[in-house]
Amino acid sequence: MAQLLDEIEWGQAILPRYSDPAWEVEVKRRVGQVSEVDRRVASSPWVREVCVSMTSYRPVAMPQRLFNIGALVTAQENSCRYCYGANRAYMKILGYSESFISRIERDATLAELDEKERAFISFCRRLARSRPRPAKADHAALVALGFAPLAVSEMAMLIALGCYYNRIGILIACPPEHAFERVANSFLGRLMGPLMRMVMSMRQPAQPATLDAATLSDGPFGAVVATLAGLPGATIFKTALDGAFASAVLPRSVKALMFAVVARTLGCRTSEIEARKLLAAEDFSDDEIDSALLTLRSPRLSQHDASLLPWVRNTVYYQTPVVQKQTGALVAEIGHAAILEAIGVAALANATVRLAMLLE
Amino acid sequence: MTDPAAIWLVAALLALVAVLGAGLLALRHRARQLQRVLAVSQEKLEQLQREFEHFAPADVVEQLTGGQGIYVPRRRIVTMLFADLRGFTALCDRLDPAVAVDILNDYFRRMNAAITSHHGHINELVGDGLLALFGALEHNPWQGRDSVLAALDMRVELARYNEELRAKSLPELRFGIGIHSGEVVVGVMGAGALSKFTVTGDPINVASRVEGLTSVHKVDLLITEEIRSTLDDQFTLRRMPATAVKGKPEPIVTYYVEHISGPGSPDRASEALAGLGMRP
Repeated sequence: MAQLLDEIEWGQAILPRYSDPAWEVEVKRRVGQVSEVDRRVASSPWVREVCVSMTSYRPVAMPQRLFNIGALVTAQENSCRYCYGANRAYMKILGYSESFISRIERDATLAELDEKERAFISFCRRLARSRPRPAKADHAALVALGFAPLAVSEMAMLIALGCYYNRIGILIACPPEHAFERVANSFLGRLMGPLMRMVMSMRQPAQPATLDAATLSDGPFGAVVATLAGLPGATIFKTALDGAFASAVLPRSVKALMFAVVARTLGCRTSEIEARKLLAAEDFSDDEIDSALLTLRSPRLSQHDASLLPWVRNTVYYQTPVVQKQTGALVAEIGHAAILEAIGVAALANATVRLAMLLE
Repeated sequence: MTDPAAIWLVAALLALVAVLGAGLLALRHRARQLQRVLAVSQEKLEQLQREFEHFAPADVVEQLTGGQGIYVPRRRIVTMLFADLRGFTALCDRLDPAVAVDILNDYFRRMNAAITSHHGHINELVGDGLLALFGALEHNPWQGRDSVLAALDMRVELARYNEELRAKSLPELRFGIGIHSGEVVVGVMGAGALSKFTVTGDPINVASRVEGLTSVHKVDLLITEEIRSTLDDQFTLRRMPATAVKGKPEPIVTYYVEHISGPGSPDRASEALAGLGMRP
């Protein structure tokens, strides 16, 4: 069973805080406060943008209540102490009772939930875990239960983006938001809850523009992102993928290979094909790609980048303290800028390949 | 002057309210009792599940306890790693039983860490031997490579442990590891209380025989051709003479894994080999 909050082993922070006052002002304007994750990923324009965009996202096709529950369950399944603690505290502020939260995280029978909601929680757990990853048929099963197809796509997107954020939290070993957790669990928190809820409901963060399928299809992993046509969240995904592949911190071929490795780990043919297209554009032959995917090595990679393929594979299924230790060791080899970029790519690859369940 | 009928009516209403109130309180009390019982049951179930996870992989336990019915048996390509301590039975005769068990438990703890850090899990402990599986629970395209990396880490861990044993004037340990892969049936097998999650099929016998060949070839780590084909030139291998084994019509070709080198892969194994005195 998934670990509870106190059971998750959590290492020392891997990345220090990065000071960018202009960015902090922007974050405050958009989401109200600067989180510990925001401070530690601030040196990467695309990684920090995804983090802020997804925390300010409001669902358009699925109920807000399921959105909140889904974020908690996904963080728990991914064993992210940072996100799990923050989501749990946020739910307390929103007025969910301790016993309700506790029953969700213990996967206990929830009489308060109907069949559809229980099916949604099970879907969250299975997609986050992906052992094996759910498939298109699972999407159809949720639709058959009465969810709108767009709502199910938004659920898959929520979980995929949750997997992104959770991996950022885990791989940088972000220190938990203890102060926020303390307030949420305190008498003062309960007292101030209604006021805080009122302030939060008054804040209406700007949603990203909704792009059409043709625009979404244009770019890396366009086939996967296009499944989200009709949802503003699709723009977050597209901006993230475009930003990741446009960034010059790591070579484009390394990033495409990292996506291919995650695709192969999760057995996702669609994502592997998309990654191969990107590699072909970098003059990789089929044999070179096959060999890299067989051995997790490639003579085309520099010594500096060679360790990223075996490492990214470990970000799919992991034990939190082990992957944090492995990531910490990698910092010494490749430095802060490259590790943050690699963490962002690994997190995004895990999110994209999970989202590709909508296609196969 | 008050109408006695009205008094009786008020009294009756008050009595009704009192009865209803008492009834509600009793129901609330009962509901709380039931909630407590449910919480205790849930806690016991969780405790049981966690205990059960010592005997079977967590994913399998969850499938069995999560109302998803029996774990459906399936055919999969799985890599099997057998490791056996050399001469430990004889050592047990000389050592205090508590010390022998402590040494064995420490050894298993270290080997388990090496195996799980490379995506494997220990499926079985038999005396001083262990069977680890790679790719039994989830799709793993790199299971051959993982098993060899795990074995190399086991070698390093054993060397470290032997240093500790030496410092305490305790006898050192030596092991033999055999690795092979092939299609097996994976599932929960057995009857009633004796059921367990395991694998069955001819490849498991081959893996066991290969482990036995480590004594014949006087090396600590042998792999079969199936595993060799998954490795690149980062791994330094030495081909061993084809050797006949029980139950196989043809002699088996095995490879001794010397070490791994290359970027990001420090040659820790060679260092460990020297510590073990295992270089043939």
